[in-house]
Amino acid sequence: MSDPILAVENVSKRFAGRVALDSVSIEVAPGSITGMIGPNGSGKSTLFNIVAGTLRPDQGRVLVTGQNTGSSSAAEICGLGVARTFQISRLFAEMTVLENLVAVARGRDDRAAISLALELLDFLEIGDIADRWGAELSYGQRKLVEIARALMLQPKIMLLDEPFAGVNPRLQNRIVEHLRALCARGITVFFIDHEMRIVLGECDLVYVLAEGRLIARGDPQSVRNDAKVLQAYF
Amino acid sequence: MKGINPLAIIGVAAIVAIVLPFVGSDYAISFSIQLLIFLVLAASWNWIGGYAGYTHFGQVGFFGIGAYVGSLLNFHYGMPWYLAAIIAALAGAAVAIPLGGAMLRLKGPFFAIGMFGLARVLEAFALGFDSITGGGTGIYLKPVSDLRPLYWAVAGVAMIMVLLTWRLDNSRLGLKLLAIREDESAAESLGLPTTRLKIGTFVASAIAPAAMGSIYAVYLGFIDPPTAFAPNMELTTIAMVLLGGMGTVLGPLVGAIVLSVVNEVLWASYPQIYLACVGVIVLLAVLFMPRGIVSLGMKKGWFRIGRPQFRRLAARKEQAAA
Repeated sequence: MSDPILAVENVSKRFAGRVALDSVSIEVAPGSITGMIGPNGSGKSTLFNIVAGTLRPDQGRVLVTGQNTGSSSAAEICGLGVARTFQISRLFAEMTVLENLVAVARGRDDRAAISLALELLDFLEIGDIADRWGAELSYGQRKLVEIARALMLQPKIMLLDEPFAGVNPRLQNRIVEHLRALCARGITVFFIDHEMRIVLGECDLVYVLAEGRLIARGDPQSVRNDAKVLQAYF
Repeated sequence: MKGINPLAIIGVAAIVAIVLPFVGSDYAISFSIQLLIFLVLAASWNWIGGYAGYTHFGQVGFFGIGAYVGSLLNFHYGMPWYLAAIIAALAGAAVAIPLGGAMLRLKGPFFAIGMFGLARVLEAFALGFDSITGGGTGIYLKPVSDLRPLYWAVAGVAMIMVLLTWRLDNSRLGLKLLAIREDESAAESLGLPTTRLKIGTFVASAIAPAAMGSIYAVYLGFIDPPTAFAPNMELTTIAMVLLGGMGTVLGPLVGAIVLSVVNEVLWASYPQIYLACVGVIVLLAVLFMPRGIVSLGMKKGWFRIGRPQFRRLAARKEQAAA
């Protein structure tokens, strides 16, 4: 494996004495689609929040493109090329879709930001909702707009927190196609989801968390047949 | 796009403001100075409270600092009021920089009440350091014989504030502040330098109120702690923004005009109960127009919807593609 774009090394986190993550280590290869599964409360979103810098680990460290992010703010980690979406949509409801994207754009040129935003909306086939308010969107549209907003940051790696949850199968397939297209553009995708059809069908590598511990790691086939995974998940 | 363009309303207001000193009575000019001071305070508060979502009750602290800095320079050194106002504005910014760094760690009600507490501390200082500030006796300034120069200064600052708000509303900076208002931690996760943006906005929102404090002291010819740091001034400013529409270009303008006129009419007609009447009007407005007159107007199509710049640019791009 080439140098990982993201490495989580022995990360532990407790909330009021309860173990959320227990010495978890993962690596994500550049240009890959990596998935993470695990029962509810297994620590998946906590791990994403630590990688994105909204939570600090009690122990361990996170490296993005080899750089330790221990003392970096969420905005600085974002500046290293990490963009994320949220489990529960956090679009800016009182802005239009276009404004949601333009608000987070880098650089000083408004026209370039608008141009990139429209291009991304077209890429995700949601250009027709550019002028709609964030609050008006359907659940599936919100998921797509969040992906577009993350892409505005021109990231190296995207962390997608349950992008397929509550989305109809047709839209799920569209999102998968878009993720594949992103990988073809050289963007690494690391996502959490419960949608086994997609996780086991599309990922190059799958991690499985249960009760804050990493219980399996491997290609989809080996994870599907892992006894510990079957016991924890099914 | 339907509805009246905010710039058209700003233009009409500017024409009225320019014509008024030539046709208005001394009373009209005096009333307009007060209205315009409130407009400047409301527009400044709207930046941090309306756009960035950091509502607070401490802006009168900067107004008071400006009032004292300007008055002391005028009283002790005979500095012209307009120079004293500029230095007062700089003093407001100088105080706001460290204060913003410390206070903006707080959020929501803690920030709002913390700022109120700070204004009260400043008032106590002004009362306590009577060798410098004159304490409860206050400072008496040489009265101005003609209010028109004060009027032009205040009207100029008000126009700049309204135009800056229009610029902010149509800029990515404005969108970034709205993002902080809506979801600060998501905004930070998406790479926005939230701390820098908040402190910058807080400092910017302190400059004009400090200048207005200095000019208000000259207008009254007198300043003392209860006048410089009056909670009533703060509450009226916030009521104007709430009534007009928080986080909008026209909100402070509409709120300042409506509430100042209502205040004046009721005060003239029902001096005993006018404050209660104003309170009821604000209460009814907040109950039935919780987003303010301008937001209601946007919803009804009377005013063109806010932040048109990005939509216009998007439309142009689509036209070019077609």
